[in-house]
Amino acid sequence: MTAYLIRRLLYTVPIVFGVLLLTFVLFTLVGGDISIEIAGKGATQETIDEIREEYGLNKPLFLSWDSQFVNHFRNALTFNFGRARDREPVIDKIKRGVGPSLALTMPMFFGIVIISISLSLVIAFVRGSVWDISTVIICVAGMSIPYLSFILFGQYFLAYKWGLFPVFFSPELRMAQYVALPVLIGIAAGLGGNLRFFRTVMLDEMRNDYVRTAFAKGLTARRVLFKHVLKNAMIPIITRVVLAIPFLFLGSLLLERFFGIPGLGYLMVEAINSRDYFVISAMTYISAILFVVFNLITDICYSLVDPRISLE
Amino acid sequence: MSVRPALLVTIICAGLIIAGCDGSGPVEEPNEMVLHHVLSAKIKGLDPGNMRDVYSVIVASQIFEPLYQYHFLKRPYELVPLLAEDMPQISDDLLTYTIKIKKGVYFQDDPCFGSRLAGSLPNNKVRELKARDFVFSLKRIANIKYLSQNWSILDNKIVGLDEFRKYTKTCKSEADVDYSRQVQGLTTPDDYTLIIKLKQPWPQLCMALADIATAPVAKEAVDYYGRDIISHPVGTGPFRLNVWRRGSYIELVRNPAFRGELYPSRGEPGDAEAGYLDDAGKPIPFADRVVWTVIEERQPAWLLFLQGKVDATVIPKDNFDEVMGGAGELTPAMKQRSIHLKTFKDPSTYWLGFNMAEPVFNKNKPLRSAISYAIDREKFIELFFNNRHLVAHGLIPPVMPSYNPEIKEKGYAQYDPEKAQELLKEAEKIHGGKLPTLKIALPGTNTWYRQFGQLLKRNLNAVGLEVETEYMDRPTYLEKVNTKSVQMFTSGSSASTPDAQDFLAMFYSRYHAPGPNKFNYSNPEFDKLYEKAQVMLDGPEKRRLYRKMELVVLEDCPAAFLNHRVAYVLHHDWYKNYKPHAFAYGLSKYRRIDMAKRTAYKN
Amino acid sequence: MLCLGVIALYFLLAGFIYLAEFFDWRIGPTLWAEQAGQSYAPPSSENIFGTDIFGQSVLRKTLYGTKISITVALCASLISIVIGVPLGAVAGYFRGFVDEIIVWIYSTLSSVPYILLILAFAVVLRDKTFFGYKLTGITAVYLAIGLTSWVGICRLIRGEVIKHKDREYVLAAISYGCTRRRIIFRHLLPNVFHLVIIDFSLRFVAFIHAEVILSFLGLGEAERPSWGAMINDARIELSRGVWWQMAAATVAIFFLSLALNIFGDALRDSLDPKLRIQ
Repeated sequence: MTAYLIRRLLYTVPIVFGVLLLTFVLFTLVGGDISIEIAGKGATQETIDEIREEYGLNKPLFLSWDSQFVNHFRNALTFNFGRARDREPVIDKIKRGVGPSLALTMPMFFGIVIISISLSLVIAFVRGSVWDISTVIICVAGMSIPYLSFILFGQYFLAYKWGLFPVFFSPELRMAQYVALPVLIGIAAGLGGNLRFFRTVMLDEMRNDYVRTAFAKGLTARRVLFKHVLKNAMIPIITRVVLAIPFLFLGSLLLERFFGIPGLGYLMVEAINSRDYFVISAMTYISAILFVVFNLITDICYSLVDPRISLE
Repeated sequence: MSVRPALLVTIICAGLIIAGCDGSGPVEEPNEMVLHHVLSAKIKGLDPGNMRDVYSVIVASQIFEPLYQYHFLKRPYELVPLLAEDMPQISDDLLTYTIKIKKGVYFQDDPCFGSRLAGSLPNNKVRELKARDFVFSLKRIANIKYLSQNWSILDNKIVGLDEFRKYTKTCKSEADVDYSRQVQGLTTPDDYTLIIKLKQPWPQLCMALADIATAPVAKEAVDYYGRDIISHPVGTGPFRLNVWRRGSYIELVRNPAFRGELYPSRGEPGDAEAGYLDDAGKPIPFADRVVWTVIEERQPAWLLFLQGKVDATVIPKDNFDEVMGGAGELTPAMKQRSIHLKTFKDPSTYWLGFNMAEPVFNKNKPLRSAISYAIDREKFIELFFNNRHLVAHGLIPPVMPSYNPEIKEKGYAQYDPEKAQELLKEAEKIHGGKLPTLKIALPGTNTWYRQFGQLLKRNLNAVGLEVETEYMDRPTYLEKVNTKSVQMFTSGSSASTPDAQDFLAMFYSRYHAPGPNKFNYSNPEFDKLYEKAQVMLDGPEKRRLYRKMELVVLEDCPAAFLNHRVAYVLHHDWYKNYKPHAFAYGLSKYRRIDMAKRTAYKN
Repeated sequence: MLCLGVIALYFLLAGFIYLAEFFDWRIGPTLWAEQAGQSYAPPSSENIFGTDIFGQSVLRKTLYGTKISITVALCASLISIVIGVPLGAVAGYFRGFVDEIIVWIYSTLSSVPYILLILAFAVVLRDKTFFGYKLTGITAVYLAIGLTSWVGICRLIRGEVIKHKDREYVLAAISYGCTRRRIIFRHLLPNVFHLVIIDFSLRFVAFIHAEVILSFLGLGEAERPSWGAMINDARIELSRGVWWQMAAATVAIFFLSLALNIFGDALRDSLDPKLRIQ
């Protein structure tokens, strides 16, 4: 097991390297010169040059020990993310954003997962019935509406017109208040696709003979569904669920932007808009690491859940 | 088995939610006077030497004080001493300014002065302001390692300062610079006297000394805080920073070390009736706390205003009809809530500029004029600004003393598509063939800019011009404009002093991009007039000269001027002493809340 | 069948608009810029979907938007298939070092959140000139989507090719001296192609929705009406009670997506005998 772990961890190194290379290439080579923007409106050439020196933008790109790429790499490894465009340390921004982002995405995540898994089991059980068909229709319909429309409709009717929720984040509101509506909308929008997926998985599983046998043996529906079918369908479920976790940290870009929630997603959108290279590469790097870690966790979960899969 | 995980998860969620509920906003004492404002963008930092965005300036102006300020009530705008004892003594050759500093001005108490430990309660008067603090802050701006955006204010003005800047280039970092190095043009014969020597006459020096960038900064603070000084402002003003939750909330409280100031006892005619002189002669500031909440979207800020949680706000474009009835009056709904409306002309001009370095525009005046005639400015203002703004008939905005009241008659901003088409025929001849598709660069990609771009396109297509609009984010836009790679571009400017020189500098041929002259316009006649005006003291002669320069520019048409902004601000009845001011920001000290009226307000 | 009809309708509309623009016909949707009524007129008998800020007919704008959305989705799909399928086939067939490299590339790409990646690519590609061809906003968008979405199809193809590689028909082909290229293109790919088609129809929906999101984030078509821009405008329009632009665009997207989803499902049922949904 440890040998497997070590091998897997080693395997992540080229991926992290790849991500760093990607961000570097994208923003430094192809992205253009941000020193003019930093220098401000009436800047002279010397201020611009000065800024380039300060941020190390005048160093060679790849080929020396002190090149920009090497520095980029080194900084990432030591988690030294430097300061953002407005001189605040990037780490502080990230720390501040994690709380609101998680407050938004975790309830959403749990909501979607719990509701869609349990509903899918129930629906799979009553497949072919009116409930089943109408659920499928609703799911497909839900998947066909653009996410943005969900948000706009929700914000307009529930918050603005009927006043059930606050329209927007405001620092004096309690977290539960300003997160409630976005979470609701997120669950509503995300439920369709997930429910359908899990339903398919459950149906596949339920076609197996052992299910018929179990029912024939006289086990209650609840036992059959939750104890047997669910467990056996775990692999695709785990894949989908666990791999979604790293993206929780990034918050939901759209929801945060629309409701002004000061989380990591909002930070990301702002950073991209203002070409804040430091923030973007820090966040991409972190998300890559999280992704890689959770991939590993997924594999470990597989082996725990399905004894047939051994880690070689 | 199925129940337990679900239960566990629910508990975790609940726990998170409860933990996440940090106590809501500030806890207010019932008798405290608190001003509530909204900022529509995050502030970047509270270091006066290197701030340019208006939001940071708004907040920092309550904490820091420069030598001079604009009188709160008197119009036309006039400078009065703030930290200076009096207006400066100017030598006959206009090159030497002697300024006496007020005695008994103290910086706020701060750990950087070593007087107390961080976190303990502030004492009062610990560190007095001295003349050398002004010298320090000006040298700091000159320090190239500091990367100040404000250097352009001082560039090539003060004797010895540019050499100091050259010296700082040789230093390795900001902290290595030796500030005790002499600068001939900045001397302090004693603790309370500052002498500035100029290279050539600079009539706007006092206005520069009213800019927050030149506010004195204590060297101890810079040494103690280093880069973090942007969140640890140490000023001499009536308020000090209490809480700053980045991106959401800033709170200032009364500065106990403030030397005290009195509310002005004189203003302009009409002030007494408007109630602005009710507090004449009283000690300021009145407020105990000033709070800003950052809300970037208009709607929620508007709702907070209606709820009485914010004292003043602008009218969001989409709620205009529910606020303003016909004839420029408030609707009855607003009047019922005792909300007041103040309108004021913002000294700003917005334009569609032409890059004269582009061959298609360079010698083709009929083309440029045609474009100007093709734009329906009134429709633009109607659709985009609820008819609030004013058509810009010229370059200089109405608030400025040099504004030409007859500029409208010159007819440069007329909407005349037929004339435009005639001019285009001439333009084609000059161009030597059919005109190519022209490009307009716009500094934003959101709905507002897209609709603006579409409007320009419609106007120009209607007279037969092919146009392509390019939307880009600000950094890209600035880069393109600065490298002269645009053909047409939309931009604007707002005056920070009553002197129109900033507007005119945009047409001076020495300042081609990346300097302020983004039009890359050159006209030797204009340059001569500009250089003459540069060293003139303010007066009717100078204003005439400015108007002449304006006409030269309008005739040559390097830009189609579109509109001047007019701000419509609403405020509640309890918010007293709110008189709009075009140039000053440090006005929170004058505001007073009528506590009784506020508590009586029903939503 | 109905779905196929609906989809065909949309495609035909898009094709029609292309033709109309090419030949400069002045009918219907190409006249979207014409003033059809007052600014922000609500839906009426004259303008079924009302008008926008300039008085342009929302109905015409919606019809025109079909062209943009279909183009984006089509181009992005094509790009991702052109990149993903060969790479997947090559990786699956040759294994070894080539496989490792390709897997490394797509693992790297997939560890960055999707929207982020597209955004980053689109922002960077905007306004760049490649081989003398300047990238406009919308081109950058479909390039960006295409360049980042090939991962899914690549994985799929790779998996299938690995499975098929050891099948008898492949071994037979090798034994009689078939070149590798022939094996991949003439034998393997046709057998796994049904996956490509299914993936295509489902991805198409995702791309259309992505256009909406990218519009919101500031990328995408700026000059001409597009569904994404219309929904995006609704942000400020809703607060003054103008709901019709957003409704029109949402309805258009809804029917197209619905048709594609159902069609994709039906396709999967008929082409992949293993997954029959009862």
